[in-house]
Amino acid sequence: MAPESLPEPVIELRGVEKHYQMGDTLVKALHGVDLKILPGDYISILGPSGCGKSTMLNILGCLDQPTVGQYFLSGQDVSKLSDDDLSQVRGKRLGFIFQSYNLIQQLTVVENIEVPLYYQGVPEKESREIAVGLARKVGLGSRLDHRPTELSGGQQQRVAIARALANDPAVILADEATGNLDSKSGGDILEIFDELNADGKTLILITHDEGMAMRTSRTIRLKDGEIAYDSYTERQRT
Amino acid sequence: MNAPGIIRELSLFRLKRSIILGVKSLWMHKLRSLLTAMGIVFGVCSVIAMLAIGEGASYEAQQQIKDLGSQNIILESVKPTNKTTAGEQERSLILEYGLTYNDISQIRATVPGVLVTIPSREVKDFIWNEAQNIDGAAVGTVSWFPEMRNRRVIRGRFFTELEMSMRSPVCVLSKSLARQLFPLSEPIGDTVRIQTSYFRVIGVIEDDPAVAAANDQSEGTGEKGDGMEMMIPLTTLEDHFGEVLFKYRSGSFEAEKVQLHDVTIRIDEPDRVMPASLAIRHLLERNHKQVDYRMTVPLDLLRRAERTKQIFNIVLGSIAAISLLVGGIGIMNIMLATVTERTREIGIRRALGAKKKDIVIQFLIETVMLSGAGGVIGVALGLAIPLMITHFAEMVTIIEFWAPALAFTISVLIGVLFGIYPAFRAAGMNPVEALRHE
Repeated sequence: MAPESLPEPVIELRGVEKHYQMGDTLVKALHGVDLKILPGDYISILGPSGCGKSTMLNILGCLDQPTVGQYFLSGQDVSKLSDDDLSQVRGKRLGFIFQSYNLIQQLTVVENIEVPLYYQGVPEKESREIAVGLARKVGLGSRLDHRPTELSGGQQQRVAIARALANDPAVILADEATGNLDSKSGGDILEIFDELNADGKTLILITHDEGMAMRTSRTIRLKDGEIAYDSYTERQRT
Repeated sequence: MNAPGIIRELSLFRLKRSIILGVKSLWMHKLRSLLTAMGIVFGVCSVIAMLAIGEGASYEAQQQIKDLGSQNIILESVKPTNKTTAGEQERSLILEYGLTYNDISQIRATVPGVLVTIPSREVKDFIWNEAQNIDGAAVGTVSWFPEMRNRRVIRGRFFTELEMSMRSPVCVLSKSLARQLFPLSEPIGDTVRIQTSYFRVIGVIEDDPAVAAANDQSEGTGEKGDGMEMMIPLTTLEDHFGEVLFKYRSGSFEAEKVQLHDVTIRIDEPDRVMPASLAIRHLLERNHKQVDYRMTVPLDLLRRAERTKQIFNIVLGSIAAISLLVGGIGIMNIMLATVTERTREIGIRRALGAKKKDIVIQFLIETVMLSGAGGVIGVALGLAIPLMITHFAEMVTIIEFWAPALAFTISVLIGVLFGIYPAFRAAGMNPVEALRHE
């Protein structure tokens, strides 16, 4: 397959480095990461703690910006954007799923799903329709007006997935999405991920769970701030 | 897309959602929200209540002064207390003091702007209606007295200039005297006696407002002779009682020679009242060796009352400002705690696309709602308290229409002022760290 015929990557990192000042010492959390992620990819990023996984997530999620290098998201260089523009990018093109669900306690299920739509200025009626549709899709159609505290962990994580889908993002980032769940509900969540990928969604799972990595079509291992292994390039090599 | 209409619609929609969100967040901590708003409640409530009480008190004072007539200068004869002349007086037996006809004619001739003078002279003695008597006074005065002193004739009429020149034995009773002396019958047409002279009652006049106010406060004890007066023509009084007044009171004997007890001078223009009062003071100082008179200038009293009110308002304003400041600091304190407590929420919102501006607006709206709600409760209490004071303590209170509006506006402004810092602190958080916050 000629490189030109490849689809435009949804994410492209070019020589990304991230430096932190910790007291007197300069810590390089990432040094020289190059990465291309294509639309519809189902990726897991693995690595021991301290390998730069969180930094990678923050940069991919546009919560933080690289010190050196470029980050193209859907073809747009987001590595030098202003704070407001970054917020815009996060709200429009990215979906987040966190280990501890991170739902807003004072809001109901539907209202939580509506939060990203609210910041995009989607009219109330339309946003309500989208949110209710997504809640049904993740199997919470009967709990629309419940508060997060009235839901189980698995249910809360499903609300978070619905919320991540609300803006129809280009990429969904899941950070240890099953870390707080028992294996049964964790399995349910992973099944939803599989379905989403089958629908053509690009998913990036950040995890240290090898079992989870097995389900994805591409595995990236980080070590000391570098990509130590990428199943995609390995496959190309062989 | 960039049409201003869409943006306006959008921001209105956002405002509505932010308000709903604010209500939800505040409702989650009902007690805390209530206690936080309390500071503003008491601040606003005390501002309105104190303003109402202050306005009422100064209104009453000003009304009493105005009743004296703001264009009037009131002179009264006062028994001198000067000890150095005591020896002379003992020898002369008759105590001679006070304002004289000479003073009046000099004032009329020399002081500019004098419109009319209302001299009066009184004889204090028992006033009789057949067997009933009251310790009171016959006041000799002129026919234009009611008009110039703002005293209303309630029934019948006042005596006329003709009756003055005829020296007619007619009298007008004060309201309380009429009530005491004729509790059951109609006084008009009847006669009253003082010493050996009889007078026909032709009318009833309002009580002296100053005396009436004093009587209201110490109810029922109005029988000291205060306000128990009958008006007769000054000329008639001279005819019947002569120049020297004798008083027999419980064994003691007193003789006084007083030409006039009381003179009210009406000045034509309010601007000329103060210069005229100075001129009169100089004139009296020259004519009288001792201070046997007292001068009251209602306009001067009014100005002093206004100045007192100004000072009162400044003090009040400072107290209100301090209490609102304390309330504002309380709100700011709680909002800072809230921001810390909700760090995670801020991180989530930022991750989901909220701009700094959105976070600022969210927290600012919450603070303003808190202080605004405090303002509304405070206004309600502040309106209720003066009503209760009026009802139970029977004090006049005046709620100026602008006071609740002003107090509410200030409470909202306090919300904005003290909400800005916590809101910017919330917005300034690093999203990554905020998300990691436990």
